[in-house]
Amino acid sequence: MSEIVIDKVSKIFGDGGAKPFVAIDGVDLRVEDREFISVVGPSGCGKTTLMRMVAGLETVSRGEIRVAGKPVTGPGPDRAVVFQQFALFPWKTVRENIVFGMRSRGASREERDEAVTYYLRLMKMEGTADKYPHQLSGGMQQRVAIARSYATDPGVLLMDEPFGALDAQTRTIMQEELVRVSKGNPRTVMFITHSVEEAVYLADRVVVMGRNPGHIREVIDVASTRQAERWSEEPIDDVMEKPSFTHLRGQVWRLLREQMGADV
Amino acid sequence: MTRAVPLWLYSLSSLVLFFGVWQGVTVLGLVSPFVLPSPVTVAERAIAMMQRPFAGALLWEHAFSSFLRFLGGFGLAAAIGVPLGLMMGRFRLLDEMVTPVFEAYRYVAPLAWVPFAALWFGTGVGGAIMVIFTGAFAPCLINAYRGARLVDKHLIEAAQTHGASEFRIATEVLLPGALPSIVAGLRVSAGLGWQSLIGAELIVVSSGIGYVMIQGQSNLSPQTVITAMLVIGLIGLLIDVGLRGVETAVRRKWEGQ
Amino acid sequence: MMPTVAGAVPAKRNAWRPRVRRSVVTGVATIVALLVAWWLSTSVLGLVGPARFPSPEAFVAALQRIWTQGYAGGTLIEHVVQSVRLVFVGFLTAVAVGVPLGFLMGYDRRIEAFVNPVFLVLRPIPPLAWIPLAIVWFSLGDASKVFVIFVSAFVPSVINTYTGVRNVRKHLIEAALVHGASRGRVIREVYLPDASPMIFTGLRLSLQASWTTLVAAELVGAFLGLGRALQTAYRDVNTPMILVAMVAIAISGALTTILLARLEKRVIRWRAEA
Repeated sequence: MSEIVIDKVSKIFGDGGAKPFVAIDGVDLRVEDREFISVVGPSGCGKTTLMRMVAGLETVSRGEIRVAGKPVTGPGPDRAVVFQQFALFPWKTVRENIVFGMRSRGASREERDEAVTYYLRLMKMEGTADKYPHQLSGGMQQRVAIARSYATDPGVLLMDEPFGALDAQTRTIMQEELVRVSKGNPRTVMFITHSVEEAVYLADRVVVMGRNPGHIREVIDVASTRQAERWSEEPIDDVMEKPSFTHLRGQVWRLLREQMGADV
Repeated sequence: MTRAVPLWLYSLSSLVLFFGVWQGVTVLGLVSPFVLPSPVTVAERAIAMMQRPFAGALLWEHAFSSFLRFLGGFGLAAAIGVPLGLMMGRFRLLDEMVTPVFEAYRYVAPLAWVPFAALWFGTGVGGAIMVIFTGAFAPCLINAYRGARLVDKHLIEAAQTHGASEFRIATEVLLPGALPSIVAGLRVSAGLGWQSLIGAELIVVSSGIGYVMIQGQSNLSPQTVITAMLVIGLIGLLIDVGLRGVETAVRRKWEGQ
Repeated sequence: MMPTVAGAVPAKRNAWRPRVRRSVVTGVATIVALLVAWWLSTSVLGLVGPARFPSPEAFVAALQRIWTQGYAGGTLIEHVVQSVRLVFVGFLTAVAVGVPLGFLMGYDRRIEAFVNPVFLVLRPIPPLAWIPLAIVWFSLGDASKVFVIFVSAFVPSVINTYTGVRNVRKHLIEAALVHGASRGRVIREVYLPDASPMIFTGLRLSLQASWTTLVAAELVGAFLGLGRALQTAYRDVNTPMILVAMVAIAISGALTTILLARLEKRVIRWRAEA
């Protein structure tokens, strides 16, 4: 059971200094085991900071984050992160990148070979095992990064705008792929994005954040609609044309626009 | 996060340790004063050399004559290396002609030119300037070349379509475009040129701050050698700080950093 | 970034082959022209006297002499072996100390704070300025050369390793941590490889500095070595031998540099060709 509990968490940069900056103020959120949530919000709302605190890459100023009941004190393989810049090790081949996290828990050679074969097939990139990242396209590189995180076998997957650096077509394909992959390998996922479509299409629940300081504005349920209409069995373009989808998208949009209105 | 020990304390303790050990081993007689004099002896020697001539001149006079030579050789290297590098970046044929010769030249250690420099230009100012030149030339040329190659082709084309002559392209597009890279190269050049001069003064030139060291060495006076080393280091540092100032100014103006 | 038009790529690739050939032709032609000009101005027209620059014939004769009979206390091979040996000993010692030190300075700010002040005091002193002190300490033998080579090669090793480690990409360290890598693995599998291009830059500069310093040190005083041959030839006003020694220094330096470049290529295979 890998649920994430974010318990009255605040993040204050320069705490104790002359000019403390409150990035996140008293966020409460519970992500259930094997639930997929996406987090959207205007830039500066602290969504990436929130994810990095769950990853253990940033410290929590107030409150506590618990994953599978244990307080987060630092990064660990139970919470693998997929980064926007892929963060593949350029000096490692695709194979070596995929097994990086598995080696942390001392997986055997057979286990690793098996995983490489499995994930390369799952990601539809057989025959690339011995290539270096720079020989792959951006979309392919991100597939490897996703495979690396899945292969680590974490209870929680944290994704920080993983498709943000990809072109529009590749991005759409990757969104579909992610739905397919996560259906077969369900994990607790926290997906940070600034694309409303992406958030609604992928998630069971969409968390809309606001800024000054960062807080949760609303949490919108998508799972019931998705299951009722069997989104995951249809192509992404068809899903996005459904009235239910456009309705949910509009709902998220309005929440975002309310906050941007003041600045734009 | 607060650290148990602030960082500056590490820095301070390291300096205290460095000079403390130096003074300690010399005062306790662990090393002979003919091998390593104490910091105090060196300081006394430095003051003496400022007041009484050694090897024919006061300390600062030696230093100044070295510095003037440096300026001559360095200026010459920049005056030839930078335009040549820019032109190589602009004209492929020139690039193809000069590059193999230049590559061969680069492998000759600058000080290996000392004998020819002395034979051609004598062991006075001329020979020294040539040695500085050979030391400082390469980075001037390479960085001007790289800088020119990195200048946006569209800028050159824009100048051409507005009827600029090759001279105007060189002075108004290539030079300013490559300037950040050139200035970075000049800094490297200056360091190498300054060091080449010291080498030349150690080997053939019978004056200047390097010559002071050789005299100190043959007089078995390590305090004289160390004093000269410190002066050389100080002048090198001043040259570098000066050029770094130019570098930052250029960067700020061109790249808004 | 250079903007590229998709259609322009194949055309560029085609143009590339003949251009390589052209540059080789131009390069060879230039060198041949220079050699001919050298021969004409010295042997044929006598524009440059033998006391200024040797003729090609005199150069070959000097090469033959130092190769077979020897000059300045040894044959060419003996001089080369001596110089290369000293460069390697000094360079390798400097690298063996400098790279780990630079690594630690980049990895731990406390070590940096401790080492930096002394470094700042000593660094502006050009390595060549250590030669007289080295002679006072170690006299004219091998030890004084190894010492000054060490000093000159040490600084670039430390600085570049330090810079490389400081610039290790943060998101790669994070990627390793979130996939459960231990501290040792992060150092071995992220810090070292990501810093290795800079470390090699440092090694290249160190090697170059080693040769410069060695030549200077041997010119100041030595019993054997290429610098010694150069110095003797200068004393004898033997311009052909000066040139032989210079060429030998250049070739030895080039060979060691190529060796290092090979090693670099082997270690950093993963890098995209620029």
